[in-house]
Amino acid sequence: MSPSTAPVRAAGERARADRRPPGLWQAGWRQFSRNRFAVAGLAIMAVFVIASLTARWIAPYDPTRIDMMFPNLPPGTGDHLLGTDELGRDIFSRLLYSSQVSLLVGFSVAIASVAIGTLIGAVSGYFGGWLDTCFMRLVDVMNAIPLLFLNILILAIFGSEFSYMILVMTFTGWMGVARLVRGTFLQLREMQYVEAARAIGVSDAGIIFRHLLRNASAPIIVNATLMVGYAILGESALSYLGLGVQVPQTSWGLMLSNAQEFMLVDPLQAVYPGLCILLVVLAVNFVGDGLRDAMDPRKQAAIARRGWGRWRRNSSKFGN
Amino acid sequence: MTEYLIRRTLQSVLILLLITVVTFILIHAAPGGPKQIYLSPNLSQAAAKVQEHNLGLDRPLPVQYVNWIGDLLRGDLGYTFKNHIPVGEIIWPTVGHTLVLMGAAWLLTLLIALPWGIYNSTSEYGLSDQTASFIAYIGFAMPTFWFGIILQELFALKWNLLPLSDMWTMGKEGQIGDLLLHLMLPVTVLTIGFLASYVKYARSSMLEVLDQDYIRTARAKGLGEGRVVFRHALRNALIPIITVLGLDLPVLVAGAALTENVFNWPGMGRLFVQMAVAREYSVLMAITLLTAVFVIVGNFVADLLYALVDPRVKLSRKGGAAA
Amino acid sequence: MAEKLLEVRELTAGFHTERGFLRAVDRVSLSLEAGQTLCVVGESGSGKSVTSLAIMRLLDYSGGTIAGGEIRFRGVDLTELPQREVMRIRGNRLTMVFQDPISALNPVFTAGDQIAESLRVHKGMSPKAAWRKAVDMLRLVGIPDPEMRAGQYPHEMSGGMCQRVVIAMALACDPELIIADEPTTALDVTVQAQILELLQRLKRELRTSILLITHDMGVAAEMADRIAVMYAGAVVEEGTAAAIFERPRHPYTIGLLRSIPGTTGERGTELYTIKGGIPRIEQLPGGCRFHPRCPYAMENCAREEPPLLEAADGHRSACWLTDMPEVMT
Repeated sequence: MSPSTAPVRAAGERARADRRPPGLWQAGWRQFSRNRFAVAGLAIMAVFVIASLTARWIAPYDPTRIDMMFPNLPPGTGDHLLGTDELGRDIFSRLLYSSQVSLLVGFSVAIASVAIGTLIGAVSGYFGGWLDTCFMRLVDVMNAIPLLFLNILILAIFGSEFSYMILVMTFTGWMGVARLVRGTFLQLREMQYVEAARAIGVSDAGIIFRHLLRNASAPIIVNATLMVGYAILGESALSYLGLGVQVPQTSWGLMLSNAQEFMLVDPLQAVYPGLCILLVVLAVNFVGDGLRDAMDPRKQAAIARRGWGRWRRNSSKFGN
Repeated sequence: MTEYLIRRTLQSVLILLLITVVTFILIHAAPGGPKQIYLSPNLSQAAAKVQEHNLGLDRPLPVQYVNWIGDLLRGDLGYTFKNHIPVGEIIWPTVGHTLVLMGAAWLLTLLIALPWGIYNSTSEYGLSDQTASFIAYIGFAMPTFWFGIILQELFALKWNLLPLSDMWTMGKEGQIGDLLLHLMLPVTVLTIGFLASYVKYARSSMLEVLDQDYIRTARAKGLGEGRVVFRHALRNALIPIITVLGLDLPVLVAGAALTENVFNWPGMGRLFVQMAVAREYSVLMAITLLTAVFVIVGNFVADLLYALVDPRVKLSRKGGAAA
Repeated sequence: MAEKLLEVRELTAGFHTERGFLRAVDRVSLSLEAGQTLCVVGESGSGKSVTSLAIMRLLDYSGGTIAGGEIRFRGVDLTELPQREVMRIRGNRLTMVFQDPISALNPVFTAGDQIAESLRVHKGMSPKAAWRKAVDMLRLVGIPDPEMRAGQYPHEMSGGMCQRVVIAMALACDPELIIADEPTTALDVTVQAQILELLQRLKRELRTSILLITHDMGVAAEMADRIAVMYAGAVVEEGTAAAIFERPRHPYTIGLLRSIPGTTGERGTELYTIKGGIPRIEQLPGGCRFHPRCPYAMENCAREEPPLLEAADGHRSACWLTDMPEVMT
C-alpha cells in the first residue's frame, strides 16, 4: 500500500464504520458509561488496583516493621498518616499491602472458579445424561454445606497457606456459575443454529466454545465480577477467623481481628480495614450491576415508559 | 403425597450419604492421612500401632467408612482427640444457642422484610424503595463481622448501652431479660445482613404478581386495594419467597457462624472455628454433617410449604415440587 | 327510546411516556341502552381495550390515564368519582369478562371462592350463602356438576370452563352492564360458539346489557344490536347492526366487511385485505387517520380530520365521502 492511498482508505473505512449501527460492545459501553454508579465503581477499583501494584514504592513504612517505641499512635502523628497499631506498625502501609492480598484473592478466585464453573456447567448442559446427573448431585452436596464451614474445614485439614486458600475458595465457589451456564446451555442447545452447526460437522468442542459460550458470555462476565466481591469478603472472613492469611503477612481481615482485640485502646483501628473492604466490594458490585444492565437489552428501556411498555406487552398476547 | 414424600426423603438421604463420603474423603486426603490427624506425634512406634488398631485405622478404607457410618447412626459422633470427650457432649449445647440466635434474626428479618417489600412493590422507586436498595448495596458489600465490631465499639464501649459479647452476664444465666439484651447486637448485625435481599425478593415477587391478569380481575370485581394486595397477590408472591428461604439456609448458618465469633456467642459456629484452630477433626466432621442435615431438612420443609401454598403443585407429580 | 345505561362522551385516554402523552383513545363517544348489546369492533391497537378499561376505571392500574371526556353510567360520571366509590359499582353493577380466562383466574383460589368473594364484598353475604349462590351461578352458566367444580382450582379446568367461571363471576351480583373484552379470542373455535351462545342466553334471561369488544365482524354480526367501529383510537362509524351490515358508510368498515371470508365474493376469489397496517399511536398520520390506507382518499383527507357526523337516522360516520355508493359493499 502506497503512503498516499493509506489515509484515503482509512477515511473511507471510518465513514463506513460510522454508518454501521453500533456494535454490541460499543452500545454496551455507552450504556455502561451512562451509569454513574458503575463508572464510580470502576474508578474506585482503579485506585485500589494502582495502590496495590505500587504499594512497594508508595508505602511509607515496611508493614511488618515493629516499633515498640510508638504503639497506638493517633492518626496524623509524624509520618504515620493513619497512626500505628499496638506493635507500632504503620497502619497506612499495612492497608496498602493488604489490598494486594484482597485483590489477588478476589481476582484469582473469581477467574478460576468461573472457569471451572463454566466448564462443568457447559459439559453438564451440553451432554446431559449421567454426566449431568453426577455434576448436579455434586452441586447439591456442596450447597448443603455452608460454604464458610467447608472452607474452614478444608483449611483446617490442609493447613492455612495463602495458595491453599485460593484453591479452597475456588473449589467451593464454582457452583453458582455452573448452574447458570448449564441452564443457558440447556436452552441454547435446542436452537436451530446449533443443529445447523452440528449438521455441517462442527465438533462438540467447537459448538461449545464458538457458538454456545459466546451466547452465554454476558451473564458469565457479570457473575465473574460479582464473584470478585464474594471472594474478597470470603478472604477477609477467613483471615478474621484466623484461618486465612497468617502473620507476618497482613490482610484487612487479619487487621480487623487485631483491631477487635485492642478496641478498648484504639477503636479507630477497626474502622479503616472494614471501610476498605466495603469500598472495594461496593465498587466491584457497582461495576457488575453496570455490566449487567449494559449487556441486557431488555434493561435499556427507560423507566418512564413502564406503563406503556407493560400495556403493550400484555395486550400483544392475543393481538389486542 | 406419600409417593412424593418417599422420593424426596430418599433424595435427601442420598445427598446426606454423599456428604459423608465427601467429608470422609477430605479427612483421608489430608497430608499424612488420618493417622497424622488422629494420632499424637509423640507416641512411640509401638503405641501408635496399638492406637491405630484401636481406632480401626489399619483396616481398608471402605470398612472404615462403613464403621464410621454405623457409629454415626447409633448416635456415636466419636471422641475429641485431646481430652477424649464424647463429641456429642460438646456439640449439643451449642446447637440450641445457635438456634436461638438464628431463629431470632430470621424471624425479625421476615417480620420487617415482607411488609417492607410489599410496600415497596406498591410504590416503586419511592423513597422507601430507594432506601431498601441502598441498604441492599451496603449489606452485600459490608463484611458482617466488621459491622459487628463497629456496633460493639459504639453501643457497648462508647455509650455503654448493651453488653459487649457472650450470651449471658456472669451470674445471670437463664434470665430472659439478660438474654434479650445480649441478643440485640448480634441479631441486628444478622438482620441487616439478610434484610435487604429479602426486601428485594418480596418486592420483585410482588411486582411480578401484581402484573398478572388475575390481579386485574380482582380489581374488576371491585375489591379494595388492601384485599387485592394481601389476599390475591400476597399468596401468589409468597410461593417463590418460600423457595428462596429454603435455599438460603446455608447462607444463614454461615452468617450466624461469623457473628457468633464476633460476639463470642457460645454456638456451633464459634465452636467450629475453635475446633478448626485446634484441629479437632471429629468435632468438625460432626458439625459439618449436622449443619448439612439441618439444611437438607430445611429445604425439605420449604418444598412441603411450597406445595401447601400453591395448589398447582401436585405432590405426586414426577420430579417433585421444586422442579 | 329506552333510558341510556352507559354514555361515553369524548373520552380521551392514554399513557404518559417520556416522549409525551400517547393518545390511545381519542375523543371516543359511545352509548348503550339498557338491555342492548353494543359491539366495539376494530383491529389490534385500535384502542378498544383501553376504552373498556377506561370505562371500568381500571386504566389507572395499567399505567394509563383518562385525559378527558366523561363516562356516564346511569347518569353518574365515573371519571369524576374517586376509586373508593367506583369500587362499589365495579364488580357489582358494572362487571367485566376478560380475554384470557385461564390467566384471569387466581391460581391459588378455588372457582367457588372467587365467585363467592364478589358476593361477600358487594352483597354482604355470609360465606355459606355466598358459596351456595356461587354454585348456583356455576349451574346457570352451564357447568355440569357445579358442586364439585366450585371446589376446584383453575388449573384443573379447561379454558372454556374457566371462561364460564369468569362469566359466572361477572354475573354473580346481577349487574346492569357486562363489558366483555374479546371473551372468545383465547378459546377454541367450538368453545367460542358455546360461550357466545351462553352470553346470548344470559342476556335474554337476565336482561343484562353487554358491551362486547371484538376484532371479529362475525361475532359482532351474531351478537350486536348496535356496532361502533374503532380505528387507531377513534370511532369511525357507529350505528345499528343492521345499518352497518347493510349500508356501511366508512371505507374502513367496508374493508372490514369485505375481508370476512364467505360474506361476499365467489368461492375461489381472493380474500380482500385492507392494504397496509394500523399506524402506531406514536405516529398517527395528519388529517383522517385512515387516509393512507383508504382506497377513496381525496386531497382533503390528508389535511383535515373528518368529524363523526350523522349520515342517516342514528348512523354516524367519520368520512368526507358522505355519499358512499352502495355497490361498494
